[in-house]
Formats: sequence, C-alpha cells, structure tokens
Amino acid sequence: MWGSQAGFGSLVKGVPSFVIPSVPDPAAFLRLHTDDHADPSCKIKIQHGTTTLAFRYQGGVIVAVDSRATAGSYVASGTVKKVIEINPYLLGTMAGGAADCQYWETYLGVHCRLHELRNRERISVSAASKYLSNLVYSYKGMGLSMGTMICGWDKTGPALFYVDSDGTRLKGNIFSVGSGSTFAYGVLDQEYRWDLPDEEAQELARRSIYAAGHRDAFSGNTCNLYQVKEDGWQFIGNYDITKLHYDGPGEAPGNGYGYDIRVEGQTSTDLPATAGQA
Amino acid sequence: MDSIAHPTQRQFNPYSDNGGTILAIAGADFTVIAGDTRQSEGYSIQTRYAPKVFPLTDRAVLAVNGFAADGNMFVKKVKQRLEWYRHAHSKDMPLRAIARLIQTMLYARRFFPFYVYNILGGIEEDGTGAVYSFDPVGSYEREACRAAGAAQSLVQPFLDNQIYFNNQQPAPGTSHPVHLPLPTILSIVIDSFTGATERHIEVGDGLEMYVVLAKGRGVQGLEDVRGVQELSVTEEGERIFVIRRDLKKD
Amino acid sequence: MDHFPANWGRPRNDAIDLYATHLLHPRPNNRAKDAFADSVQRTQQPIVTGTSVLAIKFKDGIMMAADNLASYGSLARFKDVQRLQAFGDYTVIGASGDMSDFQFIQRLLDDIAVAEIAAQDGHDLGPVEIHEYMSQVMYGRRSKLDPLWNSLIIGGFKDGKRFLSYVDLLGTTYTASTIATGYGGYIAQPLLRKAVEGYEDVLTAEQARKILEDSMRVLFYRDARSLNKYQLATITAAGVQISDSLHLETSWDFAEGIRGYGAQTQ
Repeated sequence: MWGSQAGFGSLVKGVPSFVIPSVPDPAAFLRLHTDDHADPSCKIKIQHGTTTLAFRYQGGVIVAVDSRATAGSYVASGTVKKVIEINPYLLGTMAGGAADCQYWETYLGVHCRLHELRNRERISVSAASKYLSNLVYSYKGMGLSMGTMICGWDKTGPALFYVDSDGTRLKGNIFSVGSGSTFAYGVLDQEYRWDLPDEEAQELARRSIYAAGHRDAFSGNTCNLYQVKEDGWQFIGNYDITKLHYDGPGEAPGNGYGYDIRVEGQTSTDLPATAGQA
Repeated sequence: MDSIAHPTQRQFNPYSDNGGTILAIAGADFTVIAGDTRQSEGYSIQTRYAPKVFPLTDRAVLAVNGFAADGNMFVKKVKQRLEWYRHAHSKDMPLRAIARLIQTMLYARRFFPFYVYNILGGIEEDGTGAVYSFDPVGSYEREACRAAGAAQSLVQPFLDNQIYFNNQQPAPGTSHPVHLPLPTILSIVIDSFTGATERHIEVGDGLEMYVVLAKGRGVQGLEDVRGVQELSVTEEGERIFVIRRDLKKD
Repeated sequence: MDHFPANWGRPRNDAIDLYATHLLHPRPNNRAKDAFADSVQRTQQPIVTGTSVLAIKFKDGIMMAADNLASYGSLARFKDVQRLQAFGDYTVIGASGDMSDFQFIQRLLDDIAVAEIAAQDGHDLGPVEIHEYMSQVMYGRRSKLDPLWNSLIIGGFKDGKRFLSYVDLLGTTYTASTIATGYGGYIAQPLLRKAVEGYEDVLTAEQARKILEDSMRVLFYRDARSLNKYQLATITAAGVQISDSLHLETSWDFAEGIRGYGAQTQ
C-alpha cells in the first residue's frame, strides 16, 4: 500500500478528512478549549489579530498587511507572513485563524494548478475565490475562522474578492479585514482613486497599514507590501512600522508618518527636537 | 436570540498541561534545538527526566511542548510517516517537506486539536540552519529563533534581544552580526534555561540541547564543550550531537 | 463575520447571534439516530475507587504497595480488594481510580496474555511492552472522550532491567525511580524521593519495604480514603511476588496532646 502510493495513502484519497471529537456539539468542544476570549486561561491559543488590506486601481492590485500575531495579550510573533503566495498570479491574505488561512489557501493553490492542467488555462480570480468560499462554506458552524482577500490578474484585468468563513464572497475595489481594518479604511477611503500612479498607490497602502499598526494594539511590527500586475505579483518590500512612524519609508530620516514632527515647537508642551530613532 | 446550542453537562477534559519549555536557534550552518526535561502537572513534578526533543532524521530534530500524551503520540506519528517516506524513496525527507508534513498532520486535527506546540530545527537542503515553529493547528513559519511553552514569555524577549539585537545600538562604526557563532548560541541557550528555571516553577531538572551541523561543517565550536555526545552514524552528511546539562531541581 | 476587533480569529460561535447576522435558521438534524444513543454510558466520573499506589526502584528490582480498600464515595465499601495485579512473569500493575475500569483492563490484559501463550513464538511480554500497550489503550480511550478512569503504575523486571512507569486516564506517561498516584503524589512522593533518589542501586529489599511501609502509614494517617490493610509487590530477577495482606501498626498517642484531635472536650 505505502509503496504504490509513496507513503501518502491518506492524501491519495484527495479530500482531506478531519478527526471530529465524539461529543454532541463538536464546535462547542472546540470553543471550550480554544476560545481565549471566553476563557483567558484556555490552553490552546490560536493566533489572531490583524490588519490586511487590498485595493484595485489602474495599475493592478495593491496588497498590504501587518505582521503581528497575538495570543491573548501576548505578541506571539512579529514576523508573520500574512500574504500567502498561492501561485505566481494569485495572492491570498491572512486574517483570523492563521492555520485556517495557510492550509486552505495552500489547498486552493493545488486546485488552481489542477484547473490549469485540465483546462489549459489559468483559473480566473473569480473562480478561484468561489472555489475557496464554497469550500469553507461546507465547514460552516464548525469553528473555522478566516477573512481573506483573493487578489490576482486574469482575463478581466485586476481582480479582488473578499471571502470569509461564513461563506461570504464579495467582489470589490477596496477591502480591509481584521481588527485594525477600521483605521486602515479611514486612511484608504480618504486618498483612494482609480487613477493612482503606482508609487502613490504603494504609499497609500503603507500609510494605511501604518495607521492601523499605530492605533490598533493587535496590529503592528512590520508591513509587507505586494503589487499584482499583468505578469503576476511582485513583492515590493517589508517596512518596520516604528521606522515608518519616525523616519518614513525612505532612507532619509525625518519624513515619518507620525505627527510629532508636525507639532514640534508649536504647542504649549513644545516638544524638544528629538532625533528620530529606529 | 436564536440558539442552536445543546444542553451542556459537565464533561471530561481530555487535555492537560505538562509544563516545560523548548527553544531552537538557527545559525548559518547549524541549528540548536533544546528543551528542559521536567514533566509536571499542576504543582506536582511527575518526573525529572521526560525528553521533549527528538531526532527525526540525520538533519531534522523536533521539539514538542504542551500536553505530553499528545506530544508523544504526535512524534510517534511523524516518525512513522518519515519511515514510510524512507521506504518509498530510499532517502530522508528534506526539512522543509517535514515542516509541511507537520502542518497537514496538525491540521487534520483542526476540530480536535493536538495540544502541542512544535518547533522543528535542522539543516535545509541548501545547507543553511533552519527553525520552523508551529501553532497547535498547524500554521507555521520559518524563523531564526523561537521559544515555546511555559516560559515562552520569559525566554523569547531575551532571544529577541540577544539574537535579533532588538533594542540594542551597535557601537559606532560597527554593526550587529547576522549569524552568531555556535559557542555563543550554546551559551545563550544555557542562560535562557537557567533563567527560566529561576523564574518559572514548571521549568528545571535537566536540559537537553541537540546540535545539527551542516554537511561538511567541522565540529569547531563543539570541541571544548563538556559531555558532548555524537548521535549521527556517518561523518559525511549532516551530523547530530546532544549535550546534556543539569538544571536546578527546586 | 464578526468584525468586532477583539473577536478576530476566535473560533466562531454560531449558537450566539447578538446582532442577528445569522442568515440561516437552525437546520433540522437529519443524521441517522441511534435509538440507544442516549442510554450509552461513558465513565464521566469514577464510582468505586481505589486510592494511592506507591512504587519505588531498589537494588534488585521494583517494589510496589497499595491498600485493599475500594471506596464508594466516602463509604469504605470493599475492604479486601487486590489492587496490585501480576501480568505474565515479569510485570505488576497497580491501579488507583475506578475499580470497574481496572477490572476491564485486567480482562484486556488477560486476553492478550492468552493470545501470547497461544502464539508459542518464544517471545513473552515484559513490562516495557505492557506499558506501551496500556499507554495506547488509555490514550485511545481519552481520544474517544470515553476514558478508563485510572492511574496505573507498571513495575517490572526483565532481561536484567528494572522498569517503572505511570499511565493515566489522559494517556499521560512517564518513568521515574519513585512514583505515587492519587493522594500519594502529594503525601508519599516527597518521602519516597528523599529515601530513594540517588540510592536506587544500594537499597536492599528490606530497606525498600520499610520505606513503603512508613509511607503507607503516613497515608493512612492523613488520607481519609485509605485503609491500614495493604499488600506489597516485589518484582526481581526471581519473578513476581505479591504478599498477603499486611496490617499497618499505628500509634495514635500523639492525638492525646492535640486539642480537638483526641478525647478532651475543652
């Protein structure tokens, strides 16, 4: 058996199968042991807390995320990759359960590849996102938690879909998901227009994630920025949010997003001129 | 308000927490994976020697922490899958593939999780040291260092400072090293655990440190280490060593 | 989706729908129903219980002790129960917790013992194998959320090696040179560790017996679910030997001087 299936008999069956606890209400069981909101002393803490955003504009799709994962009030990681590279043309973002997003978007990547092999063409972003939403809908009520944006470029041009674990699937121009989304939307909605040049679009995304990182305790550390163009996605850069606050994205110091430099010497407190620190 | 909840009854709790702490740090061409050996439940020490760190292949070592029964079962199942892989492909599974395997195995229990925090350390196919850390349901990330378990919140900030040089200013005209040498990392690991032993009641008794050396790397940095013991079979390929130390037993 | 910041990434609770965002009405449950489902009983709490089991390593092997009481709540119900049981020629299992579950375990082990004898393959089960088997059984049952409500100590001697281990209802296992279950974990374990740790290879059988007897006496003084009638099991190269019931000599003189403990009224 293991010989013919290379030791992966369990995967050959295709559909992944899950162990379910034998209790009347498995979802309640899962909540009992993993919901640190209802019971802060629960042992199994699933990482959460996020700001993610993506928007469509004339130059493609911009995707920007923070990199913080929290378990209760503990910052479990500051280096999380919340943009999941599904394939060279598709990106997914991670909000909610980190494992849910990583696992199902990897699984989505497998099926996008199968689609290519069967149909001799790349899957549309619409179809890929619908595949994902149908998939998580079939687990509805079991306790999955994911809010994701599927971003890509297909025959219709730049495309962006919001998919979550309720089964919601929305097509749109701007989305932001996660605990810091309200802060990101505030900046995003103010400056967004369709004909943004690439540079300005990237700056807007960075500035929005910075705002969320600054005001939302569950978001922060660094910002990862991606752009999807006709020939697939590219990684733009990783930006330290503290550095964005004091110095801004460039190399030259003193262009920080923080308003300290804008009030310096002008208020009654008259902040002394402090040099920017990393 | 709609409710689809079932009537609840007091229910058997299938989980427990057996304390302890694990830790892994990657160097340029080596990785150190360590764990204490105390196993406890509540305020009782069950045993002073229950290993939490397990060599999987000649270049991969897995540390598990959380609920000991789940941890032992999980390691057993990972080892079984790796053996099947050896039979099918007559080679060891590469590290990044083991990491993905662990993700799928943990996620298969998404609705009845293993209460286990995993840290996988070893040597990647390109010869670099690597650490992968996992949450109980399988989300994972490659990192340079990671602590998990009871004293995670004590040890991780120390590592952030000593490995990543967080909140440290380099002396004028110098910069922080990207990779630290092996003896430095071993000292940091020992200090992490002696510190955690002082400040956390569930950490102590013994320390086991596994060192995985990349193929062709000499043993420099290990010659002067007291009580180092080699586990690998051949001198070609990657080599695994184990170093044991006592920790305070109170 | 619950977009409230602090709820991000938490497991969803579809049973509570504060803002009536749940579009679907609860659906009828069409799964096949087992007519007896409601009457299947799982051990959710122990009923007839045994208290502590103690075990230590000594020079020649393993020595274990357990009293002969099976309690029914606070009632001392059965006073001649044997809680140390030999399996094969090399192993003794001591059980605390639910006695009916322990009897079920005895049946399991008797079955594999019969199969092992029938095989006549020149191999026989030692303590290591029985420990592995029991840990798998216990972990398997906890994973079905239908545990066998016991803490077991497995002691044995085979091929010149001592073996002493613990398995409980959660499937948690460990080995150590002294092990105590139940109340013994709090009261006897410190005494055992002080007497045994570091002396595993020098303690004689007589010294080991004395250590266990003293510990059983302390337990009898303070554990309200214990009895002054107990058995000792000794496992050495010579095989398994389980004693007849022994009587603990106790002295209550000290109570005279303690107000509220003895007979004085004021």
